[in-house]
Amino acid sequence: MKRRRPRPAPRRRTTGPWTEAHVHRLFWRAGFGARPDEAAEWAKRGRAATLRWVLEGGPQGAALVGPAPSADGKPLDPVNEWAHDGLWWLDRMVRSQRPLVEKMTLFWHDHFATNDQDTPLMLRQNRTLRRHALGSFPKLLRALTLDPAMQLFLSLPNSDKDAPNENFARELMELFTLGVGYTERDIREAARALTGFRARWTDDGFGGIYYDRERHDRGFKRIFGQRGRFDWRDVLRLVVDHPRHAPFLTTKLWEFFVAGPPSRATVRRLSAVYRASGHRIEPVVAEILDHPALYRSLDAPDMVKSPIVFVAGSLRTNGLPVSAQSLTWLLDGMGQRPFDPPSVAGWDWGPAWMSSNSMRTRFDWGNRLIEDDLLGVKTGSTQPPASPAEALEQALAATGRPWISGVTRSHLLEMATRFFDDLGPRTRPQRRSERADMLQRSLRLILLAGPDAQLH
Amino acid sequence: MRADHISVRASWGITAAAVAVAAGGCLPAGAGAAGTAVGVAEREFRISLYRATVAPGTVRFNVTNFGEDAHDLAVLTPRGRLLAISPEIRAGRRHTLTVRLRRPGAYRLVCTKLDHPARGMRATLRVRRPRR
Repeated sequence: MKRRRPRPAPRRRTTGPWTEAHVHRLFWRAGFGARPDEAAEWAKRGRAATLRWVLEGGPQGAALVGPAPSADGKPLDPVNEWAHDGLWWLDRMVRSQRPLVEKMTLFWHDHFATNDQDTPLMLRQNRTLRRHALGSFPKLLRALTLDPAMQLFLSLPNSDKDAPNENFARELMELFTLGVGYTERDIREAARALTGFRARWTDDGFGGIYYDRERHDRGFKRIFGQRGRFDWRDVLRLVVDHPRHAPFLTTKLWEFFVAGPPSRATVRRLSAVYRASGHRIEPVVAEILDHPALYRSLDAPDMVKSPIVFVAGSLRTNGLPVSAQSLTWLLDGMGQRPFDPPSVAGWDWGPAWMSSNSMRTRFDWGNRLIEDDLLGVKTGSTQPPASPAEALEQALAATGRPWISGVTRSHLLEMATRFFDDLGPRTRPQRRSERADMLQRSLRLILLAGPDAQLH
Repeated sequence: MRADHISVRASWGITAAAVAVAAGGCLPAGAGAAGTAVGVAEREFRISLYRATVAPGTVRFNVTNFGEDAHDLAVLTPRGRLLAISPEIRAGRRHTLTVRLRRPGAYRLVCTKLDHPARGMRATLRVRRPRR
């Protein structure tokens, strides 16, 4: 008796009211957070309009809006100055009017993790990832297979018919497209099919990738049970057509946006959408962003912000520009420097971000933010608050109104209540004012870098 | 001492004394952000320059060793005299070499380790006056 294939689950959409909390959740997961005025505006416009803007963008396209970036007062030179490449990309995350495109570029940067290659090649790869961020996966895969940084990273140009190098074929199946469902023989045979690429080097450096038919193995290969004189194009087609590919990729996409694994029915649904769309990314992401699971526990965020999202988000939600080279080293300390994933497997996401050293560096970033010229308090500028609630309100208003839990709120109010306890009735007004400054700095630091600020 | 006036004949086996003299003609590493930055990548056995041409003046070579072996970076005048050389840069490390390139011409950049230049660790930076 023929086994029936399980039917994909019907589409599940978010229903009910659309509030600022929904907007904040969506903007953090699909981007780098929302300013309070953005959250209010999109809550008013409704779910459909908000999702449309996130997925398709508005009349401004991918324009960069806001103050231009700099590194310690000078314009960025992402090619020639160390670490400016990361600042350049961070600026796009902070100012782009297509934050989802930047978020997906980050997803692909992790998925097709490449490191230790020449900066111009890494920047070129970054542009490729952005161009295909929400488009056709086969086109993205083809572009990355031909991408010089990727080719050099995984030794594809050194692979010829006399000594096929298995690096790329192995990562193609294990990390890029399948995860499981292939054999060592499939890898070896795919490596043969992928032979023929060469790198051209001159006295001026890298001169490009080219294809040399003479170095390609034109013999028969057997991959996933199919036999043919396969070349690199055939390998890419075979992995995308493999039954494990759609569940592998859609699950990974889901877990980028939603805490917790998808149900089997959800994977079937997302895989069906992916295949029906001709292997396009945008319809899958649209389903995920509209899924009720994304909006679960709005009052208790359950995903850890990655360091890049944490830093870009704190700048974006407060309207601050990228302005210091030290940002790159701070991101390094937090464990996620752009253009420098630890290996071809990318970063470990989730709670793994919250090492003790990383958390200390996140507080360093908070301290940097509350310096006078950013979100800080000039000494002697704060009047003692009329009430603890007023002090907290003032701090929230100054930091882009980040989410805090009810427990944190009550702790902060208690701190504000006791902050002046040791000052007697005869304390000089100036000392009271300085204490009020200190309270504001403390509240703002906790709002910007405390435990709640690590989640979205 | 002006770096241009150091008369050390370039050779692939530059002595430690020559290195010390040449280094004396360099501006201190990390001397602010003055001058034109030129990104340089070194690996076995290539040198990639991220900028092919600069105007006469101070140039900061921001060198990254992407390779597995230790390398260095020497800057030679168009006539082949050693102008400046970095200390040894270990695998995965970086170094900034700041040099004043006063005259137009084709300056050679090489790694002086063993036979590295012969195996391909050489590049050319052109210094040209900007067109008016």
